[in-house]
Order: sequence, then structure tokens, then C-alpha cells
Amino acid sequence: MPATVKEKSKRAAVQPHMRAKAPKIKFQADLAPSEDQMVRRLKAELEMASNSDFLADALALFRWAVSERKSGHRIVSESTSGERKVLLFPRLERVAPELTLPQAEIAWTPTELESLAALVTSKPAEPTEALLRAMRH
Amino acid sequence: MAVTIRRLEEFDEVESFDCGDAPLNNYLQRHAWINQQKVSIGVTYVALEASAPRTVLGYFTLATSSVARERFPKKYVRGLPPYELPLVLLARLAVDKRFSGRGLGHALLSEALKITLRVADEVGCRCIITDAYPDKAGWYARYGFLPLEGAAANHPQKMFLDVRTIRRASASASSPAESE
Repeated sequence: MPATVKEKSKRAAVQPHMRAKAPKIKFQADLAPSEDQMVRRLKAELEMASNSDFLADALALFRWAVSERKSGHRIVSESTSGERKVLLFPRLERVAPELTLPQAEIAWTPTELESLAALVTSKPAEPTEALLRAMRH
Repeated sequence: MAVTIRRLEEFDEVESFDCGDAPLNNYLQRHAWINQQKVSIGVTYVALEASAPRTVLGYFTLATSSVARERFPKKYVRGLPPYELPLVLLARLAVDKRFSGRGLGHALLSEALKITLRVADEVGCRCIITDAYPDKAGWYARYGFLPLEGAAANHPQKMFLDVRTIRRASASASSPAESE
């Protein structure tokens, strides 16, 4: 059998399987030279061969961040010494649920207001054991 | 007992809730949802168990408030910032009596304080104030709430907790030394 015919029949055999796959969509982006360098550096650090792998991982990470903020969770990094930094990314904040509480009027007596002012202007108290337990994550 | 605390939802089961105090039961059953969704005067958070994820076992309601600077006695005004004093009001906190003694009150207050800290971080607030029944004032005092003098007759005891104290507790609680 000539080689060309063999190739054709092979192609015919794999074609139904190929048709079942979803078509891939091309993604093109204009990057500034510095961004291009950043992508190359990150790909090297992460040992990624292709831009497609890079985009797929970046997308997975971004998708996770969006779902966490949508649930009202904050994204925090913690150093080895326990220092925490909260990620504040303006676009992510757009999907976070509002944390505003409604405004209520409180009836105060003059003595209560004096007592409140005295407490507000004095040194804050040390947390109690129960408060420390309450604030444990 | 694995408990989840989240905002009250429309179809949560509140009719069977009984903390032994009619006004607190009535608030949850008749007003909490309307106040949260329709008139926006308080947000209610409920404690639920995984086995019955709609049955409310306990709840608390939060709102914000503020005190105009000029309402404070003159001798204190100098020590205050030249703005209204923003605060969080812990308006109600109750546990169904069938579930009392299981740490639900602690879990609810813990969540209320964490929300207060987030509000302080996001939009600013100086303290949390609660109206405590006289027999519950001791329980709040264990968490560092301080009583305000001068409550009107037949009114609950107002109690104060500084956000700086909560923040300090949060920082200590999350530091490695404390968490060990």
C-alpha cells in the first residue's frame, strides 16, 4: 500500500476523536516589553514551556482569588515570622460583598456619653483571656 | 458541634427559636429579616448546624451608629478627633435554650467581634457597644466589655469595648507564640 494512502486512512481513523474535542480559542495579548520580560521570567521560574500553560495556571489562580473574595474571604500572605499582609486588589474588591452595616440611632443619657468619652479618650484596656480565645482563627 | 455562622436568609427556620426571652424571640421571628432586607436597619447573623442547615440555633444583630462630637462633655472634646465617633452596635445576641451551654454564645460573640474588626479596617469604627441585660453584664465583662455609667431606669446596661483592644487580641491570637 502506498505511503500516502496509509496516512489518509490513519487520519480518517483519528478524525472522529478529534471532532469530539472542544475547539481551542486563540488568545492574543499586547504586552509592554517589561510585561513580556516578566512573563518570560515567571515561565522560567515555574519551568513552564508554553504560554498556554502559563495562561491556564494564571487563570486558575485568578479564578480562585475571585471566588474567595466573592465569598467575603480575604486573601492573606503570612511570612515565616507570622507577619500577615492582606491582598488588596481593586478589581477583586469589586466582587467582594459589601461590608457596610446599616446605621442605627442610640438613645444616650448625658452620663453615658460622659462615660463613653472617658473610655474613648483613655488608654485601651488589655485583652482578657476570653477575648483572646474569641479572636483565635 | 460543627456550627456555621452566616447572614440570615429569607427561608431560614426561625419559628421554633426559643431563647427564653420573648422580645429576643419576637425580634428574630418577626423583624430581623425585614430589618435586614427591606429597611436596612440591622444585619442579623445566625448560627446553624450542618445536620439542620436552616434551623437557627442562635443569632446576633449588628448595626453601625455614631455620636456627634458636640454631644460629648466639653472636658473630653479636646481628646477626641474632630469628627463624629463611629461605632458598631451589637444590638442583640441570643442562643436557643435547647443549645445553651455548648459555647454557641462564645462563637456568636467571636464572629461579631471579627466583623467589627473588619468594619474598623474597611470603613472605620472606634468601639463596639452592646445593650446587656443586667444578668448578662458579667458574661460580656469576661470579654473585656466595660459598663458605661448612667443607664436610664429600666434600660439595659450599655457596655463598651475598644476596637484597639480587639485588634490587639486579634494580633496576639494570630501570633505564633499565642497560637502554640
